Amino acid sequence: MIKLENIEKYYANKGVKNYVLRHVTTQINKGEFVSIMGPSGAGKSTLLNIMGMLEEPTYGSYFFNEEDVTHLGERKKIELYRNHIGFVFQAYHLIDEMTVYENIEAPLLYKNVSSGERKSRIADLLDRFNIVAKKDLFPNQLSGGQQQLVGIARALAAQPAIILADEPTGNLQSVQAEEIMELFKKLNREDGITIVQVTHSEKNAGYGNRIITIEDGVIKEDLKIG
Amino acid sequence: MFKINLKIALRNLWKNKTYTAINIGGLALGLTAFILLLLFINNEKSYDTWDPQLKQVYQIRERHDFFTPDNKPRWQHITDSRIGNLLKEKIPQFSAVTKIDNGWGNSYSIKIENKEPILVSDIKNADSMFFKVFPYEFLYGDEKTALSKPFTVVVKQSFAKKLFGTDQVLGKQISVLAWRGDEAKPMTITGVVKDTETPETVAFNAMTHTGRREVDPDRPQSTNYCQVYALATQKLDTTNLNKTLLSTYITFKKANFAKREIKFEDFYKNGYNPGLKAVPMTEVHINPTVNSTWLEKIKPLIAISLFLLLISIINFVNLSTAQSVQRAKEVGVKKVLGVYKQQLVRQFLNEAAIQSFVATLIAVVLVEILLPSFNRQFDINLSFWYNNHLGTLLLQLFGLFLLITLLAGFYPAWIISGFNPVKVLKGNYETSFKGIALRNALVILQFVIAVTFIIGIGVIHLQNEYIAHKDLGFDRSKLINIATNYEDNFVERIKHIPGVQYVGTTTQVMGNSFNVPHEIKYNNQEYNLNTVTVSMETLPALGVEVVKGRIFGSQYKQDTVNTAVLNEAAAKLLGNDVVGKFYKSGKDEFQNTFQIVGVIKDYNNESFDKAVLPTVYKVTELGGTSSTNNLLVKFNTSQNKAVIQAIEKEWSKLYPNFPMQYTSLEAAFKKELQSGERIMQIMLLFSVISVALSLLGLFALSAFMAQRRTKEIAIRKILGASDLQLINMLNRSFLILVITANVISWPVAYILTRQWLTGFAYRIDMPIWPFVIATVSSVLVAILTTSMQARKAAVNNPVNALKYE
Ligand SMILES: Nc1ncnc2c1ncn2[C@@H]1O[C@H](COP(=O)(O)OP(=O)(O)OP(=O)(O)O)[C@@H](O)[C@H]1O
Ligand SMILES: [Mg+2]
Repeated sequence: MIKLENIEKYYANKGVKNYVLRHVTTQINKGEFVSIMGPSGAGKSTLLNIMGMLEEPTYGSYFFNEEDVTHLGERKKIELYRNHIGFVFQAYHLIDEMTVYENIEAPLLYKNVSSGERKSRIADLLDRFNIVAKKDLFPNQLSGGQQQLVGIARALAAQPAIILADEPTGNLQSVQAEEIMELFKKLNREDGITIVQVTHSEKNAGYGNRIITIEDGVIKEDLKIG
Repeated sequence: MFKINLKIALRNLWKNKTYTAINIGGLALGLTAFILLLLFINNEKSYDTWDPQLKQVYQIRERHDFFTPDNKPRWQHITDSRIGNLLKEKIPQFSAVTKIDNGWGNSYSIKIENKEPILVSDIKNADSMFFKVFPYEFLYGDEKTALSKPFTVVVKQSFAKKLFGTDQVLGKQISVLAWRGDEAKPMTITGVVKDTETPETVAFNAMTHTGRREVDPDRPQSTNYCQVYALATQKLDTTNLNKTLLSTYITFKKANFAKREIKFEDFYKNGYNPGLKAVPMTEVHINPTVNSTWLEKIKPLIAISLFLLLISIINFVNLSTAQSVQRAKEVGVKKVLGVYKQQLVRQFLNEAAIQSFVATLIAVVLVEILLPSFNRQFDINLSFWYNNHLGTLLLQLFGLFLLITLLAGFYPAWIISGFNPVKVLKGNYETSFKGIALRNALVILQFVIAVTFIIGIGVIHLQNEYIAHKDLGFDRSKLINIATNYEDNFVERIKHIPGVQYVGTTTQVMGNSFNVPHEIKYNNQEYNLNTVTVSMETLPALGVEVVKGRIFGSQYKQDTVNTAVLNEAAAKLLGNDVVGKFYKSGKDEFQNTFQIVGVIKDYNNESFDKAVLPTVYKVTELGGTSSTNNLLVKFNTSQNKAVIQAIEKEWSKLYPNFPMQYTSLEAAFKKELQSGERIMQIMLLFSVISVALSLLGLFALSAFMAQRRTKEIAIRKILGASDLQLINMLNRSFLILVITANVISWPVAYILTRQWLTGFAYRIDMPIWPFVIATVSSVLVAILTTSMQARKAAVNNPVNALKYE
């Protein structure tokens, strides 16, 4: 599904290249649940952003579903976002002016999903995540855990093949974090959704079936578990 | 999708109520001024479009020098009356030609049976062809025969109702008197026509037909001037038509000159060419012959209202881009959810559209509210909903709405939708916060306009004050001007009324003057002077100041024959020491010698923005020969009302069929002041609005800045910054903008106001105070405005801000 070949990323500062990623070559297959770990500043978020095409690598190539997407035009990128990739953020990033229902509906609107189909999918998601009662509330009326549930529901609404999550539980208490992780595990097992998450917690990483460890921009370890 | 975006838009607008209100309110004000102007322009453009047949009607213009303001040949719409017949005979393309007396703008007295006479304007006299050329719709009467007999009259429906209370007036009789001494000869109403839907160049309440207009003068050397209009069988090619007209005219002129034994070449020389042309009726109003065009007149207004609109658009742009920080997250998230930039641009444009739509609606309401006073102010009759071209108007409004939406919305939409999602989602708004330079430039521009307005009002105000209190050289108090000629009988009667001090006539007085150039020979040199003919008591009535010698008096018998008084300007021109000297005027056997008996101080006998011309005052007969309708009456009492009543009583004994018309010189003076005051009032209104809008914009902008820096302020506070230090920090950037704006507006305002002042013969020196006041007040108010916001941010408890993050 994702193939990275010799990815490099640096920021030039006063003529000095500060490497964030070096010689990163890896492959993520359909159906995997990958956790990226490593110390702060190691380049985890940068790697995930590259996978999500939010940033471009300085060097190297990136294949998404066998297609070279290293330098992709705005329109093609947006097509991928609409149909294949879902994002989950540490800070949730729900749209404050939209209710829970509308937040989940947003990606479907951009995909031109018919209104009947939209209704049933959202109802399904609300039901599944147990937030039916909250559907008319605005994000600032929800707890952090609830907001992240909405964030995940939104990412799932468009039925993506892969979810990219940057520290999805970073702002949450452990009980809520567990709940989210269970959810990811379930999505991965039952719906076959590929998941790539960045996490600092060994425990969270344990929910997945592969751990990539990065240090100073280099992959130090790539471990299959479970 | 549209629905949800609409919802988001409304929620956002509601969340930022204050700014939304400022945005919409500002736009609404800008639009209001613009719509009023639009109505005015539409109205001007709609002249003579009330019937499709008018496309085939032409106004005939001739080039000649009769009655031009500078005695030089010009194109004029009053032509030799013989042109009418000429066209009828020689131009087959014209199926009908009509001649209309040129009204000289005076009022007519209308008398119905034994009722009191009333004064009305716009009574015209035409030949029998008028209604064959102008396609008026007859409600009563037969258009073919309506004016075929002498002493018939056709009235407008509205006028019939005004006179009689009904439009069923066919066969009734009215008398129309152009002058006080006219005989009251009854005319029969033979037709009632419908009022037109759009304004007319040949506007009339009643069109009379006395029969006088049918005849041309017998003697070839005398000419009678009138207006000529022709109806063509179809719409003609004007260029070709005018070639034919010119050659016909030249043949006609040559024949006329042959009878008068003048050589064509001698007459037309030194750039004076013969000229005759036809102007399509629909273009007549846009191309007036003597006056400046209406477009010329309202240019300053157009400029002012464009500026006002610009200021409100700038507010919109500034506030929207400033607010964009709040929308950054939405944009970032939407982008990773798969939204095209184009879709985002459209979304934000729609938000702008909602606001400008509401603004347009409010503007329409404001226009409705303001129209009555606007109409009064400009002496016109505009309406919005009862507009004849409501469709066009709505279309124009829609266009305006689109334009405003694009102007105000596009840039912010572009900026907001350009946010980079990674940066935004990392919480890094600052680096993706574009458009600060442009916003600063816009704030400067806004203040340049506002400050220039303030300076402008200052200068206009000082100039108006100067003129209002300027010594005109004559005493306008207790002085009235009756619109009549000097008639001994009447004058003798009113002189006996207690309270009347002097009675005199003059050819030139403020409000009604008639220029007569006068060539004299003095010390063997020729001079061109302006002549004013007065009667014995005129100069005392005006209270002019005698500088040297004496003014006219009835004890000097020769005063009625060959004495003259000069004003100082003329005396200076002739070399000062002139009293007692003689000058000659006239040619050959008509040459006369005049003795200069006195010099008076210059006084303004015309509008005060015209310099006083070197003038010679003469009394030719005891009563003077003036026939320019001025009779000055000076009172030596302040019981004006009683005296005027007594005069009116004498008047109605002599002229029972014509009401007396008079103005006080004070009123004539006020009228002269009026145009200046009008501009002043509008400038004042617009400047207040533009300054208020600019300040509102600044207020909102500083609020945003303070809000954006809440966290920074909180941290600085924890580090020990005082409130004052923080306020200073927040103020500085705005202060720089406002000061820059002032620096730019000084030269701009200087150039503009100097330009304006050169239009006055008597003007103030460029004052410094308006500049100083504008700068000081704009800086002070700006500081006050931003400080209010900065203070709010600064005195907040820092913990709140940090916890919030
Ligand atoms: N715009 C930028 N300019 C310069 N350096 C940058 C920029 N963005 C990120 N970096 C650097 O890249 C490195 C990797 O950053 P990244 O955000 O990927 O770290 P991370 O592994 O996600 O850390 P954390 O666990 O703290 O989130 C850091 O050293 C950071 O300073
Ligand atoms: Mg990170």
